[in-house]
Amino acid sequence: MTRPNTDASDLLLDMRGLTLGVATPDGILPVVQDLSLSLSTGETLGIVGESGCGKSLTSLAIMGLLEGTPVRVLAGEIFFRGRDLLRLSPRERRAIMGNEMSMIFQEPMTSLNPVYRIGDQIIEAIREHRPMSRRAARDRALELLTMVRIPDPAGRIDSFPHQLSGGQRQRVMIAMALAGSPRLLIADEPTTALDVTVQAQILKLIVELQKDTGMGVMLISHDLGVIAETCDRIAVMYRGRVVETAGARELFQDMRHPYTRGLLDSIPEADEDVDRLSAIPGRVPTLDETITGCAFHPRCARAGAGCDSDQPALTAFAPTHFARCHYPLEPDA
Amino acid sequence: MTAILTMGRIFRGRWLATAGLCWLILVALAAIFAPLVAPYDPLEFDPLVRLSPPSQEHLFGTDHFGRDSFSRSLYGARMAIVIGFGSVVVALVAGGLAGMISAYFTRLGHVIMRIVDVLMAFPALLLALVLMTLLERSVVNTVIVIGIVYATTTARILFGMTLKLKGEVFVDAATCSGAGHASILFRHILPNLVSPLLVQASFIFAFAQLQAAALDFLGLGLPPEVPSWGNMLSESRIYVTRASWLLLFPGALIILSVFSMNLVGDALRDSIDPRFRNDIKGV
Repeated sequence: MTRPNTDASDLLLDMRGLTLGVATPDGILPVVQDLSLSLSTGETLGIVGESGCGKSLTSLAIMGLLEGTPVRVLAGEIFFRGRDLLRLSPRERRAIMGNEMSMIFQEPMTSLNPVYRIGDQIIEAIREHRPMSRRAARDRALELLTMVRIPDPAGRIDSFPHQLSGGQRQRVMIAMALAGSPRLLIADEPTTALDVTVQAQILKLIVELQKDTGMGVMLISHDLGVIAETCDRIAVMYRGRVVETAGARELFQDMRHPYTRGLLDSIPEADEDVDRLSAIPGRVPTLDETITGCAFHPRCARAGAGCDSDQPALTAFAPTHFARCHYPLEPDA
Repeated sequence: MTAILTMGRIFRGRWLATAGLCWLILVALAAIFAPLVAPYDPLEFDPLVRLSPPSQEHLFGTDHFGRDSFSRSLYGARMAIVIGFGSVVVALVAGGLAGMISAYFTRLGHVIMRIVDVLMAFPALLLALVLMTLLERSVVNTVIVIGIVYATTTARILFGMTLKLKGEVFVDAATCSGAGHASILFRHILPNLVSPLLVQASFIFAFAQLQAAALDFLGLGLPPEVPSWGNMLSESRIYVTRASWLLLFPGALIILSVFSMNLVGDALRDSIDPRFRNDIKGV
C-alpha cells in the first residue's frame, strides 16, 4: 500500500497517529497515544523519556515484535519507505526485517544465542535473506566483524557469546543487525547495560557506521546525554506522548517543555559540588491512573489553569521545533 | 577427541557412575557380538539337558526346553538395546515436537497439552497395557507404545523450556533478522534444548527397559519367541522353586542395566545442572 502525496523520497520511516494499548481486565489502557514521528535517510532520531513512557514499545511495534505481548496496535500507521508495515503479511514483513531494517537490543548478554558460535549466528542472519554459500557468508561475517571493530575478527569468529565481554557482544549484535545492510537501524537502549567507557565506544561506532552507510538510525534511550551526543533530532516522550521534538541543538538551547528541562536538570554535573541531586518531583504515574489534561501537570511547577483539564496540542515554536505545553518555558535570554 | 575429554570431565570422581558406564558398554558389546560369543543357538531345543543348573557347559543353566540361558541372555541384550533406543527416539521426537510446538503456538498448544495431560493421568504401565492390548505383539509396536508413554513427560518438560526460551531476547533478535517460525523453532530454540534432551534420553532408556520387561512378563510385550530378558522371566516364573537361576540371571541383568543407566543419567544431569553435585559426591 503506497501512501498518497509522498514527495520526500528520502523519507524512511513515517509514523502517523500510532496508538498502542494494553488489554487488562479493567479495559484497554493506552500506553502510546497518537504518536507521529518521521525519520529520513541518513538521519539519527533520538527518543528519550523515563521508563514506561512507551519508547521501547514504539520500537517493538515498528519491528512487529508485539505479538506474544499483551500490547496491541489500536490505531495509526507506520510507513516504511511508503509501505504501511502494519498492513503487510507476515511473509512480506519478514522480507523487510533484517534486510531493510533491523534492531539492536538493550541486553547484549541475552540477545545472542548462547549455544551458537558468534560467526554462525552472523552467517545465519546473512543467509536468511541472501542465498550464498557458507564460505561466502563466512567471509561476509568476517567483513562485518571488522566493520564493528572487533579486535582479531578471524580469531573471534568461532567464539561463543560467553567468551566475549559485554561491549564485544554488543559489537557482534551490531554486526548481525548490519548483515543485511539495512536502511533503518533501531537501537533500543544499546548502551544501557554497558560500562560508561564502553558506552562511548559503542555510540561512536554507531555514529560512524551511520555516516559510512547512510542508514537512518532511531536511538532510544533514557539518557539525555547519550542522545545529545549522537542524534540530529530528538523527541522527548512522557507517558505515551511526544511532549517536545526539535533538532538536537535547538532543543538544548531553547527547550520549551518543563519536562525536558526537568530531564536535563536531573543529570548531575561532574564539575560541581552538589549535595542533593535534583530530580523531577513526584513519580511516573502508573498506567491505570487516569490523568485529565496534560499528563505531566501533577509534577509540573509551571502548571496553571487549564493544565488539569485540556490536553495541550503540539505547538510550533520554530519550523522543526514543537512542544506540547500550555505554559511553555521562555527562551533563555 | 573432545568427546572423550568431555566424558572424562563428566565421570571424574564418580566411580559408581563410571562402573555403570562400563557395564553398559559391556552390554552393548554383548549385543553387537552376540552371534560370535554365544556358545549355542538361543532358539535350539535340547530336551536332554532341560532345567540343568549353571555349569561349565551352560554358564547360566538351561530352561524348560533345554535352551542355553547364557546365549539367550546375550541375544536379550540386543532386544534391550533395540527397545531402549527405539523408545528414546519415539519419545523424544513425538514428545519434543509436541512440547515445542505447543509452547510456540500457544493456541494449538492448549489442545495438544490437554491431550498430554489426559495421557499423563494414566499410570505409565496401565497406559502401555491399554495400548498394547489394542495392537499386535511385535517389536515395533512395543517400541512405539513405550515411546508414547514417555513422550508425555518429554512433552511437558520441553513445553516449559521452550516457553522460557521463546521469551529470550535472542529469539526477538532472530525475528528481527527475518527468521520464520520454523527457523526460530529448530535453529534458534532447539539447539538450546539439546542438553536436557540428552538427560531425558538417558532416563527414558532406563525406564523403557523396566517397562518392556513388565510388558513381557504380563505377556503383552515382545512376541514369546523373541529372546528378551522380560520374556525369559515370564517363561520361567513357574519354575522358580526348581530352577531359580532362570529368574536370577535375567532379573540381575535387568536390574544392573537399569541401575547403570540411571547412574549415567544422574552424572549427565549433574554436569548440566550442578546444584546437587555436592549431595552425591563420589557416587
